[in-house]
Amino acid sequence: MTEKTEHTQVAIIGAGPGGYAAAFHANDLGLDVTLIDPKENPGGVCLYHGCIPTKALLHFASIKEEAFRAREWGLEFSNVTVDVRKVRKWKEKVVKQLTGGLGQLSKRRKIKYVQGTALFKDKNTLEIDEQDGGKKNLKFEKALIATGARANELPGVDFDHERIMSAKSALELKDAPSELLVVGAGYIGLEMSVIYKALGSHVTLVELTKDIMPGIDKDLKDTFKKERKDLLDNALFETKVKEVKKNKKKLKVKLENKDGKSSEREFDKMLIAIGEKPNSENIGLDKAGVETDDQGFIKVDIVRKTKVENIYAIGDVAGQPLLAHKASHEGRVAAEAMAGKKTAYEPKAIPGIVFTEPEIAWTGLTEAEAKEQGRKVEVAKFPWGASGKAVAMGRNQGLTKLIIDPENDRLLGAGFVGKEAGSLVPEATLAIEMATNAKDLALTIHPHPTLSETIMEAAEVYFGEPTHLYKPKKKR
Amino acid sequence: MIKELKLPEIAENVDTATVLSLLVSEGDTVEEEQNVAEMESDKATFDLPSEIAGKIKEIKVSEGDDVKVGDVVMTIESDEKNKEDEGEKAEKEKEEEQEKKKEEEEEKEKEKKDEENKAEEEKEKKKEKEEKEGEEKKEEAAEEEREGSEVPASPSVRRLARELGVDIYKVEGTGPADRITSDDVKAFAKEAVQKSDQKGIAADDYELPDFSKWGEIEKKSMDSIRKRTAKNMQASWQSIPHVFQFDKADVTELENFRKKYGKEVEKEGSKLTVTAILLKITAKALQTFPRFNASLDLQNEEIIYKKYINIGVAVDTERGLLVPVIWDVDQKSITELSVELGEIAEAARNKKIKPDQLQGGNIAISNLGGIGGTNFTPIIYRPNVAIIGVSRTSTEPVYNGGEFKPRMMLPLSLSYDHRLIDGAEAAKFLRWLCEALENPLLTMFKGGK
Repeated sequence: MTEKTEHTQVAIIGAGPGGYAAAFHANDLGLDVTLIDPKENPGGVCLYHGCIPTKALLHFASIKEEAFRAREWGLEFSNVTVDVRKVRKWKEKVVKQLTGGLGQLSKRRKIKYVQGTALFKDKNTLEIDEQDGGKKNLKFEKALIATGARANELPGVDFDHERIMSAKSALELKDAPSELLVVGAGYIGLEMSVIYKALGSHVTLVELTKDIMPGIDKDLKDTFKKERKDLLDNALFETKVKEVKKNKKKLKVKLENKDGKSSEREFDKMLIAIGEKPNSENIGLDKAGVETDDQGFIKVDIVRKTKVENIYAIGDVAGQPLLAHKASHEGRVAAEAMAGKKTAYEPKAIPGIVFTEPEIAWTGLTEAEAKEQGRKVEVAKFPWGASGKAVAMGRNQGLTKLIIDPENDRLLGAGFVGKEAGSLVPEATLAIEMATNAKDLALTIHPHPTLSETIMEAAEVYFGEPTHLYKPKKKR
Repeated sequence: MIKELKLPEIAENVDTATVLSLLVSEGDTVEEEQNVAEMESDKATFDLPSEIAGKIKEIKVSEGDDVKVGDVVMTIESDEKNKEDEGEKAEKEKEEEQEKKKEEEEEKEKEKKDEENKAEEEKEKKKEKEEKEGEEKKEEAAEEEREGSEVPASPSVRRLARELGVDIYKVEGTGPADRITSDDVKAFAKEAVQKSDQKGIAADDYELPDFSKWGEIEKKSMDSIRKRTAKNMQASWQSIPHVFQFDKADVTELENFRKKYGKEVEKEGSKLTVTAILLKITAKALQTFPRFNASLDLQNEEIIYKKYINIGVAVDTERGLLVPVIWDVDQKSITELSVELGEIAEAARNKKIKPDQLQGGNIAISNLGGIGGTNFTPIIYRPNVAIIGVSRTSTEPVYNGGEFKPRMMLPLSLSYDHRLIDGAEAAKFLRWLCEALENPLLTMFKGGK
């Protein structure tokens, strides 16, 4: 049987937010693009099993949380019930609508979308296993690897995706187990805990390190912890999962604390969220000559080109941070590079948001990073207790902080915690990219009453003259 | 004993040369003056002769390497002693043995010293290398540091810098709080283009289409002559306000003279060409019109008049355009000039020309008459202020006041730098040349202006 051979200018493997952004942009720049992904439509993990369904469910969780808090303000709902089946359907509708939309965008651009998986045969050929059982060779001039990453497994504990779940299987939302163990207190662990708590599960968090969200500034975390005692009071830090035994109904989980004391507890289900690893195996990288680092991430240069002249890599498979928006930006840069444009991936700030209730968000340099680098910075904080908007929402537990270069007053980074804290990140990111200084922020009129005023007032704090705080400081 | 063959002084202002090809390999025996390598400096290709006879011990360079003047190219085991007459040797055996001992001792000492010297040299080299590596590392570190540092420019300005090939870290910001604006980047790029007049070919931001869309293409890198020509021509064209003047000389008599006296020159092994005659007449013209023999120094607002008459002659070679210079043209006879012209053109074509033979010209003559054409506008060779273009002589009807007569007419063009030379002066200069070609006696008593 002879295999079909097709030709394309650009082959893009993986249609996540990085892959499809690259494909659309490359097509807009006049290149002939083939986009390969096992799913029916573009979207990848982000749209099918990650960002989007999570955000849909977190929105649901946040309304429930808000409704619960509203009792204090005189709004009481009786008989709050959760219909998991309906929640799941709604989530599926959201996913379908968005991925379907991407499919339309792809079709209208006349991008060749191939549903299947691809394997490098050499540096100009892919072998594609199509979803419908067909097989073909695809000759390409340039290729872009955007195969993403997948959840790490706990050593000795395999995912069965029924009772031992990854975030992906947990988002299938089969039911709300009464006892759920969440392993890992990073942003996925926290978000999933919030979701399942809202669905009615009793959640126990287990984390290997001392604290939630390693790498995030302590003051931001402290505010979060104060706000979510309900979630974290029974959390176990410096604790590892030693063993998981499955019996008919329950999971028997052996936990060991830092003193070496072990205990056994029973759960209905467990969710493992202990980081991700790049999908760089099983795609024939060695055949193409593409190199990876010791963690399996593909090595790329400033335009996201690999060691092989005509092969690029972006997104999670090409290194930290593993974030959709970083992948999309890289995808556009790589597309420009493939179209022969002079371009570069050179962000000054990559924002990150934990979409919990309350949200934790940051962009650019963190205080912890500055400390680590031994870099002299000035931190200006504005507590939300002094924000009219925050108090009016009944959510005065929050904090805005700016990390400023004392040499030239330029904004280097920003951190936020509180309700809708993520909405403040874009302004700070733009400010960093534009080399804005604290004076610019302080002199820009911010609408009242909004949380955005906290950025302006934090800048005023830097100069020792905020309106809504009395905090005299050395004059600048 | 082992001697070092170093790269000798090539020419003024030339301190490196590239190894084009090695003509010998390790273990080969070479004679004195035998060429061991073909080298290329800025514009000229030349052979590197060995000043030492002997066996090649080690070749320290490879093809494509840049070698500095004074760098060791290869080490040669000199066979000075083997040269001696063997008969004599037998007679002098006794004496020699003693001498030999002495010599050997001396030699040993010398070798020791040589070795010491060599060791020291190597040490120094190593040090130099380490220093260089250190610097490189520093640079790398600087690069890394930059990644972490914040350049005060917005994303669009940074992208603009990428597109214009500007290193944004070198741009000084004039915006509020020292921010770099798009105007700063553009100004920097413009300045860089102007600076590159002296440094390299200014690549503008014109983006070439993908030619392979329309058919097969082949890419070849520019060789050093082409790069240099491109750079020089671009710089000249951009910096010199050119004006062109055309004229024709009646060379009927001159051609008769050439036919008649050509044999004299042929005896010397060369040919009497229009260029040779024109060289001589131009020399006279330069004395009459000294501005054409000058250069402009705008920085110091001075005109530099040269008291010597050196004239460049454009030579078309396989590798591109070369302009060897004939020195002191005013002091040479037409026969001498013909012979020298033949030799220097030959040397240019055979890559034997030395870099210093390409320098020091005050004006240039470009003769395309051998190929054809009725006129052209050559580009002035900086820092000259004029160039003379010669096209093909043709027989034309010329009205002499009573009737049309067939006359042989030579089209001449003059490109001149209008910053120094005015139109009237240029017209006079070219007319003077034409009249002198028509009646060379005029050069003896007729001045310019």
